[in-house]
Amino acid sequence: MLISQKSKQIVDSCRFCWMCRHICPIGNATGQERNTARARALTLSLVERGAADFSGGIADNVYECALCGACTKECATGWDPVKFTKETRNEIVMTGAAPAYITKMIETLSETGNVYGKTALCDDLKKAIDGVSAKTDVLFFLGSDARYAACKQAKGAIEMLKGAGVKFTVLADEPGSGYAWDFLVGAADETKNAMTECAKALNEFKTVVCYDPADAKVMLREYKEWGIELKPEIKTFTAFLAGKIADGSIKAAKTNKTLYFQDPALLARDLEETQPARDVLAACGEVKEMLLFGKDVMWAGSSMMAVYMPKVMKLVAERRWADLAHVGGKVMVTASPSEYAALADVKPEGMELYTIEEVVKGC
Amino acid sequence: MNDFLMLNVLTELEDAVGRENVSTNTVDKITHAVDYFWLSRMFADRGCRMPEADIVVSPADATETSKVLKIANYYKIPVTTWGGGGGTQGGAIPVAGGIVLDTKRMDKIYEINEKGMYIECGAGAIYKHIEWAANERGYATMHYPSSLTCSTVGGFLAHRGIGVVSTKYGKIDDMVLSMEIVLPNGTIINTSTAPKHAAGPDLNQIFIGSEGTLGVITKAQIRIYEQPEERRFRGFLFQNMTDAFNAGREILQKFKPSVMRLYDNAETASLIKKIVGVEKPGAFMNVAYEGVKELVEVEEKILLDTFAKYHAEDLGSEYGEKWWKEKITFFYPGHMMDLPQCFGTMDTIAPYDKIENIYWKMKEAIETNFPQARFIAHFSHWYEWGCMIYDRFIVDDVPQDPAEAFRLHNDIWNTGVRTALANGGVVNDHHGVGIKLGRLMKEQYGPAMVVFEALKKELDPNGIMNPFKLGL
Repeated sequence: MLISQKSKQIVDSCRFCWMCRHICPIGNATGQERNTARARALTLSLVERGAADFSGGIADNVYECALCGACTKECATGWDPVKFTKETRNEIVMTGAAPAYITKMIETLSETGNVYGKTALCDDLKKAIDGVSAKTDVLFFLGSDARYAACKQAKGAIEMLKGAGVKFTVLADEPGSGYAWDFLVGAADETKNAMTECAKALNEFKTVVCYDPADAKVMLREYKEWGIELKPEIKTFTAFLAGKIADGSIKAAKTNKTLYFQDPALLARDLEETQPARDVLAACGEVKEMLLFGKDVMWAGSSMMAVYMPKVMKLVAERRWADLAHVGGKVMVTASPSEYAALADVKPEGMELYTIEEVVKGC
Repeated sequence: MNDFLMLNVLTELEDAVGRENVSTNTVDKITHAVDYFWLSRMFADRGCRMPEADIVVSPADATETSKVLKIANYYKIPVTTWGGGGGTQGGAIPVAGGIVLDTKRMDKIYEINEKGMYIECGAGAIYKHIEWAANERGYATMHYPSSLTCSTVGGFLAHRGIGVVSTKYGKIDDMVLSMEIVLPNGTIINTSTAPKHAAGPDLNQIFIGSEGTLGVITKAQIRIYEQPEERRFRGFLFQNMTDAFNAGREILQKFKPSVMRLYDNAETASLIKKIVGVEKPGAFMNVAYEGVKELVEVEEKILLDTFAKYHAEDLGSEYGEKWWKEKITFFYPGHMMDLPQCFGTMDTIAPYDKIENIYWKMKEAIETNFPQARFIAHFSHWYEWGCMIYDRFIVDDVPQDPAEAFRLHNDIWNTGVRTALANGGVVNDHHGVGIKLGRLMKEQYGPAMVVFEALKKELDPNGIMNPFKLGL
C-alpha cells in the first residue's frame, strides 16, 4: 500500500489491540467486529503483506469509520488510527478500489460541490442568504452540510445573528471548505484544490465564523498542512456566540429546560474546544452532562455518512439518545448541523433536540 | 460442503437472524480469525491467513441464537462463539471453519436492579459499558481486567476471567448470579435464580469456563457493588520472595485487600520500573484496601504492622496510585511485549505451601531449557489459602519460519505448564484453555476428564460447539 511509514507503523501497532473498542460509535452501534480500529488495522496489515486485497468488504470497512477520533483520544500509547484510515482511503480511490457508492459520491461532489447532489438551496435559506449577502468584514460560513442537509437550521442561525444585530455576510455561492474531499479521499489533489479555492473566497474577509465545526477543523488544521494561506481569523460558531453573549451584544433567552450538550467530536477533540458552548448554554439555563462528553464525547452520526450507510447512522444516533435517557435528560443541544440531521432523524417521542442558536433565541 | 448446500445454509441463517447479520465477506472472516493468541498473531504477522469461518453470524438474542444452533446441528457445522476476541488462548478462533457466532449484538442492558444489586444484560455487552451503567447509578462492577474495555460479559464468563480487585471482590464466577444459555441443540435454559443453593450442583459453574464448548451464554445477571468510600494504596519493597509470600498469606488471614500484586525482582526491574517508576531492586508489592472509611483506617494499620514484621520497605502511596492510574496502560502496544517477540503468560494457581516452589521450578525449567527466554512474574490474585502466578516468558529471537516459531512456542508452553502440574499447579488460572492448552487438560485431570467428556457428549453429541478447544 502506498501509505506513509508512520501509518504502516500505526497499522502494525493497532492490529492486535482492542483497547479502544468501547468508545467506537460505529462498532457500538453495529456490534460488528470489523468496526474496530484493530479490525481495520488487521485487514490492512494483511493487504500490506500481500495476503489480502481491498475486495471482500475491506475497502467498504475503511469507509465505515467516522474519523471521529475517539480511538485516537483513547490510546494510551498515542497511536492515531484516523491517520492510516484517511491515507488508506486515498490509496483505495487512487487504485480504483473504492466501493461503487463512494465513487458515485465523489463524482457527485465533483459535479455539484456537495455530496448530496443538490444544485440549489432550499427557498427559505436562499431568501435568508439574500438578506445578508452584502459584503462585511465577517463571513458566516455555513458549510455544505448545513446548506444542503440542515437548511432549516442554517436559516435559523442566520436569522438569530441578524436579529441580534450582528453584521455579517453569507456567500450565496459559498465554496466547499474541502472537508468532504478530505473525508472521502484524504490528501488528494482534489482536496487541495477545493481548499485552495475556498481560501481565496475566505481571504476577502477579516473574520470567518464557521457554523459547522467540521469546516473550522479543516481550515484551522488541514489548510496549514497543505500550506494554504488563510488571512482571516477563523472562529467557531460556538466560540463566536460565547463571545457575543459575554460582551452583551447577544442576549440569551432564559429557559427552564435542563440542557445536555452533544459536543461535536471534531470541535472537542481536534480543535480542543469544549467550554464556549457550555458558557452559551449556561447563559440560557441549567447544563448537565451525558455519559461521555467534552473530549471524550461519543459521536452521534452524520448526514454525509447517512448517504451511504443510513441504517448505521440511525443506530448510532439512537444510542446517543439512549445515553441521554439513561441520565434522565430530555433536551439535547448540538452545534453540528450534520450531527443534528442524524439525531433529528431518530428523535424519540418526548425528547427535544435544538441547535445551540435555537436555545439562545429561545427554545 | 458444496456451494449449493452452503447457499442453502446461508439462506437459512439469513432467515433466522436477518440478511444484514450474516456475512461471508472476507473482512468479517479475517477479523474473526485472529484473536489475542500469540500463534494467530504470529501467523498474521508473517502474512499467513489463519483458518477462517465460512459464515459469520450475529444473532440479536437467545431466540435467534437458538435458531442458528439448530441449523448448525442439522447440517453438523462447527460453531465457534466470538465475544470480543481478546482471549489469549485461541478459544475464539474458528480452527474448524464453519460458523462464527458473534455475540456483540446481544449487548442490551435489560435492568439495573439496585435492590438485588445486579445488572441484567446481554452476554455480548462490552464489560466497560456495564461498568458505565453501574457508575451512572453510583455503583461499580468491580471487575477490572486489562481487557475491560474490549471484552464482553460472555467472554469473561466463558473463560472464567478475573480483574485487578479480585482479592476482595472475587473472580467473574463470584460476580454472576444467573445466566441464560442456549444449549447446542437450541434449547434455551436459565441457571438457578440464585447462585448459592443446595438444589444440586451449581449450573452456573458448569458453564463458566466452558469456553463455548457446551453452549452459548446469551444473558447474565452481574453483581454490582457500592463504590468504596475510600480506596488507599501502599507500595512495598520486599528483599526476597519468601518474605513477600508469608506477608501476603498473613494479611489474608486478617482482612481482604482489593488489590494485591507482588512482582518478582525481574518484573520490578523492567515493567514496574518503566511504568510506575520504582528504581530500587527488590520485589515490589502494591496493596489497595477500600470500603468504609473507618474500616480502611484499621486495615491500613494492620497492613503496616504485618508487613513490617517481614522487613518490607514502605514506599508510601505514590507508586500504588501511579500503578492504579496506569493499570491498563501496561497492555497498550508499545508498553506490552509484541511481535516479533514470542511471549506468553503461563498463569497458574496453588495453595501457599506450593506456590513459591512452583514459581522457582517454572523459572528454572524455562530458563534452563530455553536459554534464549526471559522469565518474569507477578502474583496478582490472592486468597486465604493461596495465590496465582502470572508468569511470562519472552523470547526476542524467534524463527522466521512460522512452523518453527509454532514449535518453539508450544515447546515452551509444554515445559512450563507441565512443570506447574508436576509441582501442584493447574493448567491455567484465568485466561482459559482454548486450543493453546487443550492437549494438557488430560494431563491435569487424568480420569476426572471423563466428567467433562460426558457433559460434552450429552449436550453436544454432534461435537459442533467450538471443536478442538478445552481438550474436548
